[in-house]
Amino acid sequence: MGSSRRGRAADRQGLLVGIMKNGENGKEAALMETGERAQAPLRVERGMSVGVPRALMFYKYYPFLKTFLEGCGYEVLASPPTNIKILGSGTDVCVDDICVAVKVLFGHVRYLEDKADVVLIPRLVSVEKRDYDTFTCPKLIAAPDMIRYTFSHLPASLEFTVDIGKAPWWWSCLRLGMSLGVPLRKMAGAYLAAMRELARYQALLRRGFLPPEALGRLEGKGPAFPPNLVRGDVTVAVVGHPYLIGDPLINKRLLHWLDACGARVLSSTMLSEEEILREERRLPPLSWSYEKELLAAASHFTRRRDVDGVIYLTSFGCGPDSMITEMVRHELDHGRDGALLEMVLDEHSAESGVRTRVEAFVDMLRYHKSKACVRGGT
Amino acid sequence: MKIAFPHMGNACIPLRGLVEYLGAEAVVPERPHRGTLDRGVRHAPEFVCLPFKITLGDCMNALDNGAEVLAMVCGMWACRFGYYGQVQHMILKDLGYHFDSLRIGREDPRVIWEKFSRYLGKSVLLKAPGALAMLRAKAVAVEEMESIARKVRPREARKGDADALLERYLEELDAASTLRRVRELREESREALRSVPLRGEEDIVRVRIVGELYVLLEPSLNFDLVRRLGTHLGVEAQPVLSTYRWLLSPLWLDPFLHLHSSRFRRLTRSYLPYILGGEEHMTIGGTLDAKRDGYDGVIHAYPLTCMPENICRTILPHICNGGDIPLLDLCYDEHTSPVGTATRLEAFVDMPRSRKGNGDAILSRHTSLSGQPCCL
Repeated sequence: MGSSRRGRAADRQGLLVGIMKNGENGKEAALMETGERAQAPLRVERGMSVGVPRALMFYKYYPFLKTFLEGCGYEVLASPPTNIKILGSGTDVCVDDICVAVKVLFGHVRYLEDKADVVLIPRLVSVEKRDYDTFTCPKLIAAPDMIRYTFSHLPASLEFTVDIGKAPWWWSCLRLGMSLGVPLRKMAGAYLAAMRELARYQALLRRGFLPPEALGRLEGKGPAFPPNLVRGDVTVAVVGHPYLIGDPLINKRLLHWLDACGARVLSSTMLSEEEILREERRLPPLSWSYEKELLAAASHFTRRRDVDGVIYLTSFGCGPDSMITEMVRHELDHGRDGALLEMVLDEHSAESGVRTRVEAFVDMLRYHKSKACVRGGT
Repeated sequence: MKIAFPHMGNACIPLRGLVEYLGAEAVVPERPHRGTLDRGVRHAPEFVCLPFKITLGDCMNALDNGAEVLAMVCGMWACRFGYYGQVQHMILKDLGYHFDSLRIGREDPRVIWEKFSRYLGKSVLLKAPGALAMLRAKAVAVEEMESIARKVRPREARKGDADALLERYLEELDAASTLRRVRELREESREALRSVPLRGEEDIVRVRIVGELYVLLEPSLNFDLVRRLGTHLGVEAQPVLSTYRWLLSPLWLDPFLHLHSSRFRRLTRSYLPYILGGEEHMTIGGTLDAKRDGYDGVIHAYPLTCMPENICRTILPHICNGGDIPLLDLCYDEHTSPVGTATRLEAFVDMPRSRKGNGDAILSRHTSLSGQPCCL
């Protein structure tokens, strides 16, 4: 007993030292503890490449980040569109019951770790300022932490913290620039150019381009008119996070199959801020900003006369979505005449399964529409 | 006014004390069991976390027993728990139940006051301090009985003695209606539990349980984790959270709780600089402190798809490797089997026991296999 007590006291001392180190300088102590991944304060030379993983909120902010970092004198390397190998390598290292979007992020970081000099991982804490606290999903808030403690040999990671509830957007960009050691004047120019680029991207999305096509359009590639809006006897609105709508590997080319069925496809990424805000006023307040947008988008589409059906995309294990789908269902149950298809995606979803469900859904909408016409005629 | 609130461990005892002191009637349905969970699962969203499902089933049981008002704590956090009340009450109303929902923390205090004064009259305000004193006294008594029982269970000479005593005293505490009786019971139970005959003092393995609040505290959900470890496996298991903490810290009835949790927040900041809305600081802080507090292992229990705990799960192996302390992750959902959990617990408990019992010889054998300290 005595000896074990002594041992315990020694342990206690050892651990206390560790804790005090933590207390003194949180982040550096944590990095020191991680041994081989200890990083000196980041030194990024001009012309070095900054890797941006094509996952999570990439489809919302990439044009901004690209222009900003290029304006500051860095080369920006975006990881390629998700493929099976990236998804698989992400699934290998990630906790098993987390949503597929986070697994994809891990895969992209693994892809970038030996190709880019620095990997940029955004930390989105809050993206709007309201009179109540707003957040994004906890996984977006803690993404850099999860990456830091999973990868033992990440070259260096660069954090881009967005907390609009506390500090404005430009402040986050200023901090990113400062951590890279970019002179203020250069940063200001890059910032303005980046804001213009972001506005261009958002305008393309409003016009009806889906995120991947809009990204192509920015570089002058792809069709000049959104192909998903061209034709269709039925209109289907797809509501979901941009990382689900924008990633054809996660959604198993759902938008393509809708198009192939001859449907006109709208998506929640096309709605303008005003349309979302107008809808939000009628809905209960939610502190998850992105999910509030989705709920508003679903509600908006179910009220529109030109939309025949809504597909709600969600990934398995998505925390906020499990609550939001219930609210969407509730919205639809009360006085709305609409069709809703809930599509749960995970890393095992099969393309043929998605295709079958989409075809059946479109056929049902068509049938419903023709019956309605007949009824209207008689 | 028949008021009901979901079960969470023994939280119903102090809450019933509070409600009955105010002059309302508390509807406490049967303890949750498999049937309650199945009932909740049928109506809950598919991949919502497990506490949502079991409390939904519990609310349905309460409504069947004649509850008129459903109370639930709500808030606007990044964790889903803040929306339980809103979504559950929506589902229940869609199912055709009629009740008044009392969402504490979300609704305007004036609205809550109006509801209370409508049912109970304005004199309820005068009773409030006494009711809070009752809540506190009962919460303290429950906490004390449970913590002594947790210590006695693995050491008792005849298995089940402590549990029998605990059950009896909790029942009496639930029936007690005056502060004096609560105080008496507290002293009686302390004496009785401390005089349980013990086996000879052995070096008992101590395990800290961290994780999601509800899974930690609700025995029907975690297959009676603490008691199973104590009585069957002879391990002293101490959860880092308690109903006492959960009930009293938002009411500021015990400032030490705040000191404790702000210390854990400070420790956690180097791992997770932003608040995630759950109990992540208790999980990470508890694990960091486990060795210092004399524990031989850490069990991390959480429901499937729990957001804050999943994030902690990526960080905990790292802490446990560095701190050289074994870790077991237990993930619960409606398909988890009690037998599987028991097997994993048995296997896990052998590890700290062998490290502790046979000293350095076994320890070096364990570590030399992988070159790393063992970690399940």
